[in-house]
Amino acid sequence: MEVTIEWYIALSTILFTLGALGVLLRRNAIVIFMSIELMLNSANLLLVAFARQFGDLDGQVMVFFVMTVAAAEVAVGLALIVAIFRSRRSINIDEVNTLKG
Amino acid sequence: MNAFGLIPLILVFPAIGFLFNALVGRRFVETNRSVGEKWSGWVASLMALSAFVIALLQLFSLVANHYHAEVVTLFDWIRVGNFHVPWAFQIDTLSVTMMLVVTGVGSLIHIYAIGYMHGDKDFSRFFAYLNLFLFFMLILVTGNNYLMLFVGWEGVGLCSFLLIGFWFDRTDAKGEAMNANAARKAFVANRVGDLAMILAMCLTFWTFGSLNFEPVFESAVEMFAHGEMVEFGLFSATLGQVLTAITALFLMGAAGKSAQIPLYIWLPDAMAGPTPVSALIHAATMVTSGIYLIVRSNVLFELVRASDTFIIGSLTSPDLVAYIGAATALLAGLIAFTQFDIKKVLAYSTVSQLGFMIAAAGMGAYVAAMFHLVTHAFFKALLFLSSGSVIHGMEHGHHELHAHGHGGGGHDDHHADDHFDPQDMRTMGGLRHKMPITFAVYMIGTLALAGIFPLAGFWSKDEILAHASTNSGVSFTVVNIMLTLAAFCTAFYMGRQIKMVFFGEPRHDAAAHAHESAPLMTTPLIILAILSVLGGLLNFPFFSEAAYKAASAAHDYGINLALEHWLEHSIAAFELTAAGVIKLPKTPTWVQYNVAGISTALAVIALLAAVFGVYGSRPRTAHERDPLQSTPIWWFAILPINTLVMSGIIPLFNRLADWLGHKLDGAFWHDFFHERLIRDNFVGFAKFSADVLDQLGVDGLVNGSARVTRRFADLIRTTQTGNVSGYALGVFIGVITLVVYFFLQTN
Repeated sequence: MEVTIEWYIALSTILFTLGALGVLLRRNAIVIFMSIELMLNSANLLLVAFARQFGDLDGQVMVFFVMTVAAAEVAVGLALIVAIFRSRRSINIDEVNTLKG
Repeated sequence: MNAFGLIPLILVFPAIGFLFNALVGRRFVETNRSVGEKWSGWVASLMALSAFVIALLQLFSLVANHYHAEVVTLFDWIRVGNFHVPWAFQIDTLSVTMMLVVTGVGSLIHIYAIGYMHGDKDFSRFFAYLNLFLFFMLILVTGNNYLMLFVGWEGVGLCSFLLIGFWFDRTDAKGEAMNANAARKAFVANRVGDLAMILAMCLTFWTFGSLNFEPVFESAVEMFAHGEMVEFGLFSATLGQVLTAITALFLMGAAGKSAQIPLYIWLPDAMAGPTPVSALIHAATMVTSGIYLIVRSNVLFELVRASDTFIIGSLTSPDLVAYIGAATALLAGLIAFTQFDIKKVLAYSTVSQLGFMIAAAGMGAYVAAMFHLVTHAFFKALLFLSSGSVIHGMEHGHHELHAHGHGGGGHDDHHADDHFDPQDMRTMGGLRHKMPITFAVYMIGTLALAGIFPLAGFWSKDEILAHASTNSGVSFTVVNIMLTLAAFCTAFYMGRQIKMVFFGEPRHDAAAHAHESAPLMTTPLIILAILSVLGGLLNFPFFSEAAYKAASAAHDYGINLALEHWLEHSIAAFELTAAGVIKLPKTPTWVQYNVAGISTALAVIALLAAVFGVYGSRPRTAHERDPLQSTPIWWFAILPINTLVMSGIIPLFNRLADWLGHKLDGAFWHDFFHERLIRDNFVGFAKFSADVLDQLGVDGLVNGSARVTRRFADLIRTTQTGNVSGYALGVFIGVITLVVYFFLQTN
């Protein structure tokens, strides 16, 4: 059985939906963080799949950029989470709501 | 060799004096009263004297320069497009005359004020203001364009305001801050004139493209010769019409500054200021700037006269000037009859004499106007300063009477619980024995003002009257009659005043204990008295037509007509290229014996009538009515003077002066017109603006917009929950919406 582009799209969609749901529904900051990574990677997967499909390297190059940015984002995000945890002894984002109007 | 380059110093010296007194003078005086006062006062006086020296140098330079006007440009002041105003000094015979009067009389008054203000708590502030006044007054007279003149014009207005309200914390019996009110009144009345000045300047610039004196006058003459029209976009006007508007606006400006009908109301109130201020600003210098303006603009006025442009009927704007001046001279002269305050009499007298000058300028007798301006500066400054000496003496007498610790405080310090008014002539009397020097100089001033031969006032006033009587025309005749009557009034109220102040018995214990002022005060008085006696020599006329013709043929006028020949370099007949020469109305150069005889006779009669007749027998007390108000007609019948005339004239004056003074001037003009009609309506409108328009309208708008913003903000802030997943949901929905939108759009 050949793995066609539809399979990749389906997998990517599932991963993205899982990620989005994770961001919206989970309360643990680290889990939300991982969900964001999941969405990023679902996009990466699709980029690579289409690159292969059309024989164009642009999509693969784009993935490298996304991964770089994601790595930077992880570094900043994790630092923020650690800082929040230090001050509140919790990383439940429902408790981090001081900026409400 | 000339000293024109030194002219900026004439402004620098008063400015230094002002800065010294404003910045460090107060500390000097507070540290050591007597030394500090000396420093403060003498620095100010020396700066005034230095300015006088500079003015003298300008005089010599002008003579060396064969009277040719010189313009010294200091720097470019404004240069916007073709609007170009330099900061430049106009040095010609006219401005030097003004400089000499301002700095000369000013210096004497500064020195006098050191004695007069001794002990005042704001000693150095007073001298700072005086120097600042000199600074602005000198800008006014030295500027070579209307804008500089206007800067000085506004500046002296400011100083006048500051000095009238010098004792701004004083209140009268009713608790009103009368000095501050008087200052404000002067300021507001002057604003009306200033508006006219601004309009006149705009019109001048529009018409001639410049504000500098020389170019304006030159192009005015040229445009007149060519009969050019002035374009105003939608319509065009003849030069005569435009100049009529400009000169009428100048007249309004002059009416504000020089206290003419209808804006004279502020000058009598301005007497609330210290007496040296009344002498310097409200008699000798500032109030004459209106005359200076008209004399300076003589070309424009004469062009209007030559162009036969009428305001109404056959009334040209110079005629209007003459009528306003003459009416003011007569009205103020009559009002002075009813005053009891020694300074108020002199104030109305000043208004009256300014009317003489304005009338002279309106009749084209510019030299006579300037002549009277100079002599008036001498003798009116003398009279004011002497009245200050009298007030000073009365206060000292009063203090001596209650010698229990009235230490400190200024001389004009009134005490709230004390009904004694040192300026009320009814409390004086018999002062000639107590204050002999003051009496002597006051008599000289009085005789000079009344126009008694051979004092200064006789020559200058007579030149105006002679000019009016020798020129033909309705306006000249009417003005002549009005001014002759005004001259009679002048002598009468001055006779009344000296009688009430110096003769008879003291009517108050203070007057009995008064004594002569210090030499620091009397010395300037003596100098001014000498000037008042000799002032006539400035423009001494010939005694006969033959003498004039002989001198004219020989081109050697000697000392005669000095001022006329001096000023003819600034005020002269000017030539037109096509239409010939415009000649100024001719002022006679020899004594007109009929005019001089009539006016002297009237003055003597008025003086005698006042001194021996109306105020003759009984000393007036504060409780008695003025004889003008109460004397029955039969009382005059026993007098050895022409009974018929006296019984006809005095009751008439009685009624007229009383009516003018109390009904027209007091009740109608001051109280009803200005207080009720203008002030109350203005206050009412201000209240409406403040309480209704501002509170409800403007504030409502501002506060309303704030309230709306707040409501809306309250509404949308509820969406800011601080809940991150909520925000994420928002972003998610947004993205979905966008995707769906683009998806639908592409298909």
